Amino acid sequence: MSDTIEEGGLGEADIEAAYGSGDGDLDTSATVASTPKGQIFEQIYRPWNGSLGPRWVRNYAIYRHHVYGIISGSGHRRYHPFVRLALLVVILGSMTPILMLLLSSMVSGDATGFLNRMWGVNRYNLWGNVLGYFPRNLCMWPLLTALVVGGLVSDDRKNGTSALYFSRPISRLDYASMKWLSAASVLATVILLTYMMYYSAAIVFKGEGWSFIADTIPIFIGGLVAGIFLVFTYTSIGIALSSISTSRFTASVSFLGLILGSKIVAWLVEIQFETTYIYLLSPYDCLAHLGQWLVGLPSNYDHPLIMSVVSLLAMNAASLSIFASRVSSLEVTRE
Amino acid sequence: MGQSEGGFDIANPIIQIRGLRKLYGPHVALDGVDLDIGTGGVGILGPNGSGKSTLFKCILGLIRITEGGGEVLGKDISTMGPDIRSKIGYMAEYDSLDPGLTAVDQVRYAGELLGMRPDQATQRAHEVLQYVGLQDQRYRKIESFSTGMRQATKLACAIVHDPQILFCDEPTNGLDASARQFMLDTLRRTISEGGGTVIMTSHVMEDIQGVCDRVVMLSAGKVVVEGRIDELARQITREIEISVWGGATKLEQWLLLHGHKVRRMGRIMRIEHQGDQTIRAILEGASETGAQVRVLREFEPDLEDIFLLIMRKLGKSAKSASDLKGVPGE
Repeated sequence: MSDTIEEGGLGEADIEAAYGSGDGDLDTSATVASTPKGQIFEQIYRPWNGSLGPRWVRNYAIYRHHVYGIISGSGHRRYHPFVRLALLVVILGSMTPILMLLLSSMVSGDATGFLNRMWGVNRYNLWGNVLGYFPRNLCMWPLLTALVVGGLVSDDRKNGTSALYFSRPISRLDYASMKWLSAASVLATVILLTYMMYYSAAIVFKGEGWSFIADTIPIFIGGLVAGIFLVFTYTSIGIALSSISTSRFTASVSFLGLILGSKIVAWLVEIQFETTYIYLLSPYDCLAHLGQWLVGLPSNYDHPLIMSVVSLLAMNAASLSIFASRVSSLEVTRE
Repeated sequence: MGQSEGGFDIANPIIQIRGLRKLYGPHVALDGVDLDIGTGGVGILGPNGSGKSTLFKCILGLIRITEGGGEVLGKDISTMGPDIRSKIGYMAEYDSLDPGLTAVDQVRYAGELLGMRPDQATQRAHEVLQYVGLQDQRYRKIESFSTGMRQATKLACAIVHDPQILFCDEPTNGLDASARQFMLDTLRRTISEGGGTVIMTSHVMEDIQGVCDRVVMLSAGKVVVEGRIDELARQITREIEISVWGGATKLEQWLLLHGHKVRRMGRIMRIEHQGDQTIRAILEGASETGAQVRVLREFEPDLEDIFLLIMRKLGKSAKSASDLKGVPGE
C-alpha cells in the first residue's frame, strides 16, 4: 500500500482515506472531487490621486444636476416625462404671441390692425405677457413653478439624500442657494426669455426702427423687472413649501392652492364687500399691482401700491426664512 | 513613522480629539472626550444616547463644539469642516440615494459634489462600482435595487474620491448572509488595500470584530473603553465553558458549594478559570453529580461579551448588543 496518493488517483489509499479501513497508522490524504469555483470578478481597490475642484465647481454640480435634468433624459435629476411634456406645453404656450406677430406681419388689410391690437407691442400686451391672469398666471406660471420646484427639497427629505450633500464639503448656504437658483433659472428661462423673444420678434417681424425701440424700451424694461419679481416670488414660495414637505405632490398642490386660492378668495371678497385690500394676501395680485406701476398702466386696485410692495416683501421674507430654517434642520446622520 | 500596533498606527493619529464637550442646552451630549485614532479599522460602540451621533458630527465639522477641540487629518474640527469632509467618505445608515438615478449617475454625482470634474467622476464611478460588485448593475435605476445593492451603492458613493477616512454607519443593515459577508470583506479590503481608516458603528458585534482592530466605547458622552479588541478580551476574566447534559443544576450547585464562580445559560456553564484545579473540580463535580460534560473548553470572549461586561460594570441594563441598535443617530 502506498503512503501517498497521486493526484487524481483512485487507489487503495483513497478507500483508506475515505472509509478508514486500515489500522489508522497510515499518513494518507484523499483527493476529493471538486468543481472549479469561477471567479466572478477581481475585486481590486484602485486609489485615486486626482485633485478636487473649488467651491464653485461643487456648486455648479448642484445647479447643473437640477437644470440639465429637464433637458436630458438621464444622468441628472429625474423629471417625470409628464412633467417635461407639461413644461414643453407651457413654453410653447408662452410663445404663441410670437406666432401671432409673425401672422400679423404676413397679412394685410383690416386683420392687421386687429392682430396688432391683440398681440402687438403695447403696455397692456407687455404686462400681459408676464402678469396677465389668463392664461399665464392662472394656468401656466403656477403650474410651471409647481412642477419644477415641488420636489426640489422634499425629495431630499423623502430619500435622505440631504446626507449626500452635507457629508461633503457643501454648506447649507451653498445647498439652499443652488437649489433656489436652479429653480429660478428654469422659471426665468420660460417666463423672461419668452418675454424677451416676444419683444425682439415684434421688432424683427415688423421691421421696427430705433424710434420704436426708444419709445417701447422703458415699458419693456418695466415688464422685465416685474417678471424678475414674479420669478423671485414664485420660486421663494414654491421652494419654501417644498422644504416643509416630504412629498413633491403636496408641495406642488400647496403652491397651486396658495396662488390660485388666495386670488379666488380675494376676488369673492371684492365682489361681496367692494374692497381690494384682501388682494394683499394674494401673491399674484401684489405682483400684478407692482407690475402695473412698472409698466405704466392704470391700477385695478383701490389700496395704495406701497401696501402691495410691503406685502410682497413680507411674503418673500417669510418664504425664505422658512426655507432657511428647514434647510438648517436637514440632518446628515438621520432625517 | 509611527509605531504600528497590528496594522493600526496609533503613534501617528489621524484623528485627535482633546477635552471635547458638546452641550445641547442643559443636556451634555459629549463630556470631555479624548480620543486618538490611527489608520486601520475602528468600531464605535455605545448604547442609545451615548453621544456617537454627536461625536460623528463634531468629527465631520458639522456642529459648533462647546469646549475642547481636535484635529482630523491635521485640520481643526472647529474651523475646517469643509476641508475635513472633502477627505473623508461617509456611508449613511439609512437610504440616502435618489431612486430615479442609475447607480453610475448617483456615484458620479456624489463625486461631483466633492468637486470632481464630470469626466473624472464618471470614470471613478465605474471603478468603484466594479469594486463594490455592481459592475453589471451600474446602469440600472436604484429604485430597482435590493437592500444589498443599495448598501453597496452607498459605499461606492462614499469611496468615490478614495477618502483617507471612511465612516460607515451600520453598513450591514438589512443585508442577507452573503451580502453581509461581501460588505465586510470589502471593508476589510478597503483598509488593507486602500491603506486608510474605516470607522464603523454596528449593533452586530461580530461585524465590528470582523472589520476592526480597535473599539471605542461611549457611555453618557464619555469614552469608557478604548483599545484593541484582543487586548480587551485578555482583560476579561478567563473562564472554562462546559456543555452539560443531565444534572446541570446539580453540577452548578456542586461547583457553587465548592467556591467556584459559575455563569449558567441553559446547558452551557462558564466557570471562572483559577488554574488546573478548576478543570479537576469540574470533572470531580460531574463524577459526583452524575452530570455528563459533553464539551469542555477555554472560553474565548468576543466583542459582545466585552460590551456586556462593560455595560454591567457601568450599571447599564444592556441585555445584548442589540441594545446598541439605532446608533449613531440617537
